[in-house]
Amino acid sequence: MAASNTIRILDGNTFVVSEDTGDIEATPSEPTGLFSLDMRFLSKWVLTVNGERLNALSYDDLQYYEARFFLVPGMATHYIDAKLSIIRERAVGGSFRESLTILNHDEKAVDLEIRMDAGADFADLFQVKDEVLNKKGETYAEAEADKLRLGYRRGNFRRETVISASRPARYDRNGFAWTLHLEPNEQWETSIDVQTHAVGPGGRDLRMGLRAHGTERLALQHDLEQWIAKAPKVNSEHGRVASTYRRSLIDLAALRFSPLSLGGQTLPAAGLPWFMTMFGRDSILTCLQVLPFAPEMSKTTLRILAALQGTRFDDFRDEDPGRILHEMRYGETAAFEEQPHSPYYGSVDATPLFIVLLDEYEKWSGDVALVKELERECRAALKWIDDYADLVGNGYIWYERRNSDTGLENQCWKDSWDSLSYSDGTLPPFPRATCEVQGYAYDAKTRAARMAREFWDDPAYADQLEREAAELKERFNRDWWVADGGFYALGLDPNGRQCDVLSSNIGHLLWSGIVREDRAAQIAAHLVGPRLFSGWGVRTLAEGEVRYNPIGYHNGTIWPFDNSFVAWGLRRYGFAEEAATIASGILDAARYFDGRLPEAFGGYPRELTKFPVEYPTACSPQAWSTGAPLLLIRTMLGLEPHEGHLAVDPQLPVGMGRIEVLDIPGRWGRVDAFARGRLDLEHQAGS
Amino acid sequence: MDTTTRFFEDLDRRGFEPLLVKTSGTLRFDLHEGPQTTHWLLEIDRGNLRVRQEDQEADTVIGTEPRLFGELVSGEENTIAALLRGDMTVSGDLRLVLQVERIFPGPPESRGPHHAFQRRAA
Repeated sequence: MAASNTIRILDGNTFVVSEDTGDIEATPSEPTGLFSLDMRFLSKWVLTVNGERLNALSYDDLQYYEARFFLVPGMATHYIDAKLSIIRERAVGGSFRESLTILNHDEKAVDLEIRMDAGADFADLFQVKDEVLNKKGETYAEAEADKLRLGYRRGNFRRETVISASRPARYDRNGFAWTLHLEPNEQWETSIDVQTHAVGPGGRDLRMGLRAHGTERLALQHDLEQWIAKAPKVNSEHGRVASTYRRSLIDLAALRFSPLSLGGQTLPAAGLPWFMTMFGRDSILTCLQVLPFAPEMSKTTLRILAALQGTRFDDFRDEDPGRILHEMRYGETAAFEEQPHSPYYGSVDATPLFIVLLDEYEKWSGDVALVKELERECRAALKWIDDYADLVGNGYIWYERRNSDTGLENQCWKDSWDSLSYSDGTLPPFPRATCEVQGYAYDAKTRAARMAREFWDDPAYADQLEREAAELKERFNRDWWVADGGFYALGLDPNGRQCDVLSSNIGHLLWSGIVREDRAAQIAAHLVGPRLFSGWGVRTLAEGEVRYNPIGYHNGTIWPFDNSFVAWGLRRYGFAEEAATIASGILDAARYFDGRLPEAFGGYPRELTKFPVEYPTACSPQAWSTGAPLLLIRTMLGLEPHEGHLAVDPQLPVGMGRIEVLDIPGRWGRVDAFARGRLDLEHQAGS
Repeated sequence: MDTTTRFFEDLDRRGFEPLLVKTSGTLRFDLHEGPQTTHWLLEIDRGNLRVRQEDQEADTVIGTEPRLFGELVSGEENTIAALLRGDMTVSGDLRLVLQVERIFPGPPESRGPHHAFQRRAA
C-alpha cells in the first residue's frame, strides 16, 4: 500500500514508514508514520533548515532496523551548489532514535535555524488502512523544558509519544528547534529519542519486560548476526538462489514478533506494514515453510496459539471451544471493540493447520515433549472440526460469520469478498466450504492418528481418526470432483452445488494427500497447464473463468506462498518435474524483486510482460512470501525427514546449476544436502 | 451474593480446572471502590485451584473496579479488550491473566455456530 519510494524500518511491531528524505507527512493516501502496538505515534516528522525543506541525495536502508539519509537544503534543481549537508540516521528497537549531523562545507560561518515539526494523530492501523479518521478521544501536546509530549486519551486508554534530544532544544507544541552557528568545516550533532508509551492507569506500560532481545542498536545487530549464523548456509552456482535465501532469512528475522503474552519469545508476524501482528494462518504456514531452516519458530508459534485457543462461544469474536485464532491486534479499535481482534477467531484453516504443523515439527525435531504438552489442545482442535465447524452436518468444515458487522465473510486464505464463485461467476450463499480446508482436515486427522499412536498412547483414538480420515477422503472425492473438468471444485454451497471453477487450491489438496492416486496426474497437468500456469507461477484462478482477472486479488494473481505449497504437493505425489517448473518460475520472479518476493504479482503470461508485475497494494516483506523460497528449496532438494534421518532426493532444473544446503538442523543433528540441476524443463513450461 | 463472589466460590468448589493444567502461580485481584479494596487470591497449582480473600503477595496483581470485574466473570465484558483499554491494570506475569481469562464465560447472548441443518445422530 505504501508508495514505492517510502523507506521502512522496523523491530517487531514498531516500525517507521517515511519518505526518502526521512520526513513523515501522513495523509490518507500516503500512510507514513511511526507505528507501534497497531497505532500511529508520529504522523508528522519534518526537518527544515532555515525554514527550507530538505532534498535527498541518497539513502541507505542499512538493516531492517536502521536507515541513513543524506540530505541538502533546497530544491533538486540547485542542490549541487549546496554548502551544507545533513545526515539523518535512524533506528527502531524499543524506541525510535534519530541522530542528526549537520556539516558546513562553506568557507564562511553560517547561522542556522534547525527545526523538526512533530505531530501525532494516533490513528488506529485499521483507520489508516481504511482511511477513516474520526477520533472519539482527545489528543494533546505538552511542551516541557526538555521534552515534547504528544498524547491521546479516551477514558483510561492512553498512548503517548515522548520526544527528547541530547542537545537542549526549544520545545513547542508543534515541534522543537535549535539555533546554531557553524564555523567553516564545523559539524554539529544531536540525537533524538522518541519513546512510545501505552500507559495504563498505574502509569505502567503494557509492554514492560517483553522484549525478545535488547533494543540497543548493537544488541539488534548481534541478534541478527546470531540468527544468520544459526541458520543453514545455502550456496548456489549462480548465486541467485543463495542471495534470495539470504534476503529471505534477513526479512524473516525482521518479521519476528514478540506478542505481549509470551514473555519475549517470537513468532513470525504476517507482513509489513499492515500486518505486523500474530495471524494464526500466516504464522503456521510460514513456520511450515521454514521448518528446515528455522525450526524454533514452530515451537513458539504452536505454544502461543495453543495458549490462546478458543474456550467458549463468543459470537462477536467468532470464537468456539478448540478454535485457533485468526488475528490479534492491540490498537484502539480492538480495545473499544469496534473491531473484534482481541483476538478474532474467524478462520477455518488455522485449526487443522495447527495439528499439521505440530506433527511436521516433531518429524523434523524429534520434540516429543511438545507433542505431549499439546495433546489436549490437539484434541480440542479435532473436536472443533467435528462438532463446531460442520455447519451443514455432512462431514465438512464450513464457515459463516456470526459477527455480521465486522467479522470476515470468507474465512479461508482467499478472504476477499468475491474469491469464491460458480463457473457462471455468481457467488454462493452461506455457509460456504472451500476444498483446501477439507484437505487440511484430512491431513490433520491422519497426522493426529500418528501422534495418538506413537506419543499419546491411545491406539483406539488413532484407529478412529484414521477411519474418519479415510471416510472423509472417500466422501470428498465423490462430492467435490468436477467430472467434466477433471479437477476438484473450489467450493461447495450448503445445497451441495459445486463452485466448479479451476483454481490453485487444488494444489493444496495434493499437499494434504486427499487426492485419489488415479486423479493426481490430471491435477498435476492442470497446475502446469496454460490456464493456471503463467510461466512464473500458478494463478489463484484459471484463465478462462468468468471472474478471472490477472490483477484480481484472489481471482488471477500469483501468490508465491500458494505456489510453494502447490510445489510441495506435486512433489508429494511424485511430480518432481512439475514441482521444479513452479519452483524455478517463482525463484526467477524473485530476481526482479531483489530476492524479496511480494505478496502477489499479476497473472499475465510470462511471455507477454517479460517481468512479473507487482500487485498494486501488496505488502512487503510479507512472512509467507518470505518463506516461499525456503519451502521451494526444500521441495527441489526433496528434503524429507524419514525414520529419524533426513532423506535427500534432489530434482533440480538444469538452469539452476549446483545448490548446496549446509547444516540442516533436526533430530539427526546437522546434515548437508547437495543437488545438481539435471531436469530438462523445456518441454514442461506452459505446455 | 454478587457475581464475583459466586465466581470465586465456584472456582474454589471446583478445585480443579483442566484448562489450567499447565499453569501454576498466584493471582491477586484487587477490586477498588473508592477507599475500599476487596482482595481475592487465586492459587493455581497445575490446574488445582484454591481461593482465599487475602491481601498477600502474588505473581500477578490485577487491579480493576468491582463492577467491571463482575462483568468480566459473567462474560458481559472481555478481559483482553479491557486490558488494552486500560480499564484493568496488571503487574507481574501477564501470561497468568491470559490463561485465567480463558475460563471466564463467553457473552451470555452468544449462541455459537449456526448449524444450517439438523446434525446427524452421532
